[in-house]
Amino acid sequence: MAEKKKAVIVGGGTSKFGVRQATIFDMLQEAMRACSDDIPALKPTDIDGLIIATTMAGRHSSALNTAPLVVHRLGLSPTSICIRLDTLCAGSNSAIIVAKGLIESGISEVVLVTGAEKVYMPQRWETNYTQLAVNDHDWDSAMGLGVPPPFFAMIAKMHMKRYGTTKEQMAHVSVTNYTYGTDSPNAHFGGRTLTMEQALGARIIADPFGLYDCCPLSDGASAVVIASEERAKELTDRSMVYLRGTGQHATHSMSVGWPGDTLAEWPHLKKAGEVAFKNAKLTPKDIDVAETHDCFSISEVIELEELGFCKKGEGGAFVTSGAINMGGEIPTNTDGGLLVYGHPFGASGARQAIEICKQLQGRAIHQVKDANFGLTHNLSGTCAQHTVVIYGREPVE
Amino acid sequence: MADENKAEIVGTPALDGTYVAEMDIWPLECQEFNRLYPFYDNLKAGKFTTTKCKKCGHIAFPPGVICPKCWSDELEWVELPQRAKVVTLTETQAGAPLGFPSPLIMAWLTFGEDSPLKHLLGRIVNCKEGELKEGDEVQFVVFDVPSHPIEVKKETKICDRVFYAFEPMKK
Repeated sequence: MAEKKKAVIVGGGTSKFGVRQATIFDMLQEAMRACSDDIPALKPTDIDGLIIATTMAGRHSSALNTAPLVVHRLGLSPTSICIRLDTLCAGSNSAIIVAKGLIESGISEVVLVTGAEKVYMPQRWETNYTQLAVNDHDWDSAMGLGVPPPFFAMIAKMHMKRYGTTKEQMAHVSVTNYTYGTDSPNAHFGGRTLTMEQALGARIIADPFGLYDCCPLSDGASAVVIASEERAKELTDRSMVYLRGTGQHATHSMSVGWPGDTLAEWPHLKKAGEVAFKNAKLTPKDIDVAETHDCFSISEVIELEELGFCKKGEGGAFVTSGAINMGGEIPTNTDGGLLVYGHPFGASGARQAIEICKQLQGRAIHQVKDANFGLTHNLSGTCAQHTVVIYGREPVE
Repeated sequence: MADENKAEIVGTPALDGTYVAEMDIWPLECQEFNRLYPFYDNLKAGKFTTTKCKKCGHIAFPPGVICPKCWSDELEWVELPQRAKVVTLTETQAGAPLGFPSPLIMAWLTFGEDSPLKHLLGRIVNCKEGELKEGDEVQFVVFDVPSHPIEVKKETKICDRVFYAFEPMKK
């Protein structure tokens, strides 16, 4: 049997995220343009596989069979794979897992993973209304469940009650992520800053969340290239960043079957992390930089716990200790994360992958010194599913 | 040309006066479209029900056509408890989806150790903002939701629908 190939992330780019005066295809072309700037040697003919991750295309962009439309707009002619994939907020991270498998098995050589959403419509009601369609329609959406802040507010309330987490600790996450994201030119809130006073004094969205505890919904697109080590070396002179391990775990739909004792425990994330660490032959201590799914400030707190970067229940104290800041134990969301870079669902995972790629190649805007191993994480489907990918400057032996 | 369009907000031109199932927040509950129609018939009789596996005894929620534990299709309808306790709750003032009046109140409910359904994230109705507290008891409640048409040959049949939520127990 032929030796398994090694999958590498070559580079990538994003469109401007935000409330955009653009269609989903405009933004996909912007992301391709940014990806091309990042990998100057890359030509359309180099790409033999395409995965487009999107949730709202179809409802919002009238593009149900999306992949061939993306092929046409980006000038591609894939021969190994050409698919649309949807796992809501984890779409392009899921696509990276698929691309890894395709490359390691020899089916594909160079896969373009893209993610894109057009969230904002001519009338504002449609965005929240469509969110009802991304959950279990007949059971959860008919209950009015689907718009995330109320659900995550209950998670935060329970974490505060069980573990003593405070609003100040949660605000520390938002403030830290602004110190990073303010310098990301394509971020939804790029150029903006946030103080503790502003964070704690903001208008309430859903108690206990103020405005800055919640990530925005964004229009946007991202594109990354995942390739075999051999092809990657032909496309770039930069150091190789290997996809070492992945894990993805889902247990339930939204309203019933929650796997934890309470909403403050996320055993399904713990499991996804354990699987990814095992495949990557690493432990949480090895990770130098992380991109976790900070859809809300409390999410990052709980993710640091469940991924094993601190003890369960100590996430609040961990973030205020400076652990997530530059020079701390695990600088997290160093491009601003969802809170500042924004969140076009299907595009977020690839955006995280780009930041980890840059960190491990030593060229991030907020560079973690000597970063060897990085991790990306998305939750999706209102915390029904968790997706973890671990990268390293060395492949798994 | 601009003048012709400025008068009023217009709807989606081709859909004027038609029913669009894709945009409907309520389920297609009728037998013509749904094998779980007995759930909705039971709702109309005031019952909160689901499917129990005759092979392995597992009680699933939501109900299904097979048992998600053993994949048997030998199922029976059983009743679920109609009272629950509020573990935590949230009240949405702004940003509730179209069709849901504010405040949209959601609660994480517990049905107790003996219940086959341990927890449910459910909507609370007939409740003022600030009225419901953690630890309060709530009860199952059924209400009418809008009907929809189905084309049966050249005729149009109207399907009446109900849905369920929970409300505070009368003190």
